Amino acid sequence: MKRSLNLALALAVAAPVAARGQAIGQGFELERSGRYADAANVYLTTLRADAANIPALLGLERVLFVLNRLPELQPLVQRARARAPDNPALRGLELRVYAGLNQGDSLEAAARRWAAAAPHSDAPYREWALALADRRGFDEARRVLLAGRKAVGGEGTLAIELAELEQRAGNWEAAAREWGRAVAQSPDIGPNASSQLTEAPDAMRERVVRALAAPPPEGSARARRVGAELQLVWGQPLEAWALFEPTIGADPDAQPALRRFADLAGTLSTPAGHRARGLALNRWADLVPSPLSERARAEAVRELLEGGDRVAARRVLEGLATDSAAPPDAHAIAEAALLEVLVADGQLDAAERRLAADNALSGDDRGALRLALARARIARGELDRAAAALGDDSSVAALAQRGWIALYRGELKSAMAAFRTAGPYAGDRAAATERTAMLALLQRISDEKNPELGAALLTLARGDSAAAIVALRHAAARLPAQGGRPDVLLIAAQVAARLGGSNEATATALFDEIVRGGGEGAAPAAAELEWARLLVRQGHGAEAIPHLEHLILTYPGSAFVPEARRELERVRGAIPKS
Amino acid sequence: MKRRDFVKTVSRLGGLAVGAQFLDFYPPNGLTAVPSLLIPMDDAQSDHLKAYGLAYRVIQAGLKAEWLLNYRGGAFLVPDGDALRRDAVLNGVRAEPVDGGAVTAIRGQIEANNMDMVPLEKPPKVAVYVPPNVAPWDDAVTMALQYAGIPFAKVWDPEVLNGGLRDYDWLHLHHEDFTGQYSKFFLIYSGMPWLADMVQRNSDTARRLGFPTVPALKKAVARSIRGYVENGGFLFAMCTATETIDLALAAHDVDIAATFADGTPLDPDADAKLDWSQAFAFTGGHIEQNPLIASFSDIDGHQVNGGSRRQPLGAFTLFNFSAKIDPVPTMLVQNHRQVIPDFYGLTTSFMRQRLKPGVTVLADEEGAPWTKYIHGDLGKGTWTFFGGHDPEDPQHQIGDPPTDLSLHPHSSGYRLILNNVLFPAAKKRELKT
Repeated sequence: MKRSLNLALALAVAAPVAARGQAIGQGFELERSGRYADAANVYLTTLRADAANIPALLGLERVLFVLNRLPELQPLVQRARARAPDNPALRGLELRVYAGLNQGDSLEAAARRWAAAAPHSDAPYREWALALADRRGFDEARRVLLAGRKAVGGEGTLAIELAELEQRAGNWEAAAREWGRAVAQSPDIGPNASSQLTEAPDAMRERVVRALAAPPPEGSARARRVGAELQLVWGQPLEAWALFEPTIGADPDAQPALRRFADLAGTLSTPAGHRARGLALNRWADLVPSPLSERARAEAVRELLEGGDRVAARRVLEGLATDSAAPPDAHAIAEAALLEVLVADGQLDAAERRLAADNALSGDDRGALRLALARARIARGELDRAAAALGDDSSVAALAQRGWIALYRGELKSAMAAFRTAGPYAGDRAAATERTAMLALLQRISDEKNPELGAALLTLARGDSAAAIVALRHAAARLPAQGGRPDVLLIAAQVAARLGGSNEATATALFDEIVRGGGEGAAPAAAELEWARLLVRQGHGAEAIPHLEHLILTYPGSAFVPEARRELERVRGAIPKS
Repeated sequence: MKRRDFVKTVSRLGGLAVGAQFLDFYPPNGLTAVPSLLIPMDDAQSDHLKAYGLAYRVIQAGLKAEWLLNYRGGAFLVPDGDALRRDAVLNGVRAEPVDGGAVTAIRGQIEANNMDMVPLEKPPKVAVYVPPNVAPWDDAVTMALQYAGIPFAKVWDPEVLNGGLRDYDWLHLHHEDFTGQYSKFFLIYSGMPWLADMVQRNSDTARRLGFPTVPALKKAVARSIRGYVENGGFLFAMCTATETIDLALAAHDVDIAATFADGTPLDPDADAKLDWSQAFAFTGGHIEQNPLIASFSDIDGHQVNGGSRRQPLGAFTLFNFSAKIDPVPTMLVQNHRQVIPDFYGLTTSFMRQRLKPGVTVLADEEGAPWTKYIHGDLGKGTWTFFGGHDPEDPQHQIGDPPTDLSLHPHSSGYRLILNNVLFPAAKKRELKT
């Protein structure tokens, strides 16, 4: 019985509390559905039972503002304040109500009373300033916050509030200075600071970084790191690294900050981004234990190579090579990277020797390096050595590469057979598309062998575009009009158009020849589209229109028609330029 | 060609003769033997949007086209000719040659079903109300007209107030805020160069035209537009323009603009003082008084910037009208899709309870308290309001690149816009009931 009585008493006490909670919930729901007046009635009813009910008072603050009935809130807040004079939430609300009613004197008096009652707290100044800032009184709010900083003490006091205030007022440079102060006091807010400052308009970015990069005593390493992160986000990775690197010292923040920098740089796909990430990873490797450090260095090498910084990559590799403590996987990664460097540097004989001697490389790395070596040999015109570099590799990638070697030797049928067998499975999509395009060209040529065409295509592959144009034209002249001539001429014309300058006249002449020749095959339509594009690039959009119309009307079944229509729409201004 | 003076009937052969040279078309004797091109607008069509441009060019050339309401998605029947075929091929529009017998069969099918044939006779002169500066958002109608190849002129406040609208049959409004509050972006986007430019241009224009404030200028422009419709103009509005033009008209003697727009706070009793008799479509709305919320009133159902009031996007359904009895709404809803994904705008939809009696609802979301697409008459003219900003960019954000319509040639949302452009070209006739 006693137990039942206790339970009954507990329920009796809890019931009004639960009912009030339920009522507040109803108020929220009404508010959410836009029935502000009804929500206000619910909150007022709650306050009649519990004058200091904070959720109800805050609810009223929201809805009475919308209903333009804010004056009704003032006596209710005063009554609540009488019940709970030291409650900071009520003090803050009181300030906001005075601000909302435009009662500046009362606002100041109430804020000063609160500050006097809590002399070591920055809350009165914060709430006072926020109330002013919400009414767009930015200058007054700034004065209040600076007064608070002076009264409570400390350079970083109220720095976050000042930073946000300056940001709202559009003073990005001042905001950056305040974020710098805030982050110097508390490293945890660094990510928030950089996230906030990211929004700075283009014109202000340089000043923002300069404000954060200020030297001590005004600036700090943490502030400079925020500046560096901003530069990373704004696409200046190397400038970011230049700002970040000198901040790396013995402080405990350095290691996580470096990792964060490297991760952020990893979101950039530019060579500079890769380089900055590589440099950061290499420094990070100095601060972490083995085997993490060796793996980081190996990753750094890859990034530096992607970033085109072979000198730095090689320096890191040398360190790794002499590191006997490096785990085998790190050693293999380093060796593969070193071979990549050698190939890229043109030291093909040395790379070949190392590749033959090293057994630690994975199968995938070995295959990729063989292909790289073969490509490098082709670029030198050393077709036999390119074939030798591939060895007995039976992968589809090697098969495709053998197809290119056969093509450059002029063995057209062998090249076709190799490309067909490799299909779309070797390399990336671009490589597969390139092979398919070449296959389409070869199908139009009946010769089993054509060394002249092979040599012309090799010249092109070796990067001598001007000589390739001449060689391709010669090779085309020996082909029948419907036996691949326009297709080979099209390659020459495309190369000439890409070269620009005086070669554009050659390109135009070739396009004209192909289009006038007409006939079956994709070349005439492709040439007319390329011609139109060249005219557009030259600023002769109106002259491009008849070509595009001719293409669409003459070759309605061509795969180039959708592209031609799109080009036509762009020239006519029917769709946005992209 | 305003509604008040819909084109007088031009004889079929007379009309053909005007454009015959343009289209290399010479009609044979005997109407049923006239070779025609059918431009289907169902799923067989390869570019629905450009098909409207083709139909427009046919009537622009002085030829007659026919709009086959509810037949194959709202197909067009145009005279056959080499130039027209060329136009169709160049623009990727599917056009099917039909002989006299096939046309007779089509007419029979139309007669026996909820379908109708509406002659299109004269191309409407189109004006788009657009500020001279480049706003960081796109305009769906301008893009649709450009893509379809339909010519239009641009007008702004000075032209409207100087009576320039009388030169046009069709006027389009898009994102303009006729309450003069810069879409209430003033506080949110403070410091943005595009906003500063917008404020500067509007303030300069108001001063130059003798108005004390931008809200006062915009109210006067709204009244001019209302007068244009009363006198027989066709008005088509999207997005914010729908809601704010009505608010501006209803608030002719009330301050509904926040302090930042005109230097004075809005009238706390504004809701009670609004005169909805002046509005096109809405009644009984309540003004959003918070200057920090980019919403104007409770007319919009979705409140995209209304915080917790924001509603998720659904899909809207086009109504089926009787083609022979209600040709106008039938024209406005011609489409190859009946259910269309919704898209946000600063004004996305129109609360049903805020519509005036007599407003025709063309599309709504099933089970939702809002409508999407509405139409009505005012004086001798008509208006059509379509909520939302860009049918193919449902979440369009400020600064987003403009939509490339060549990637959306079958856009059912954009078709609704182009229905409106062609609708004034239709020859008026007596209703059968």
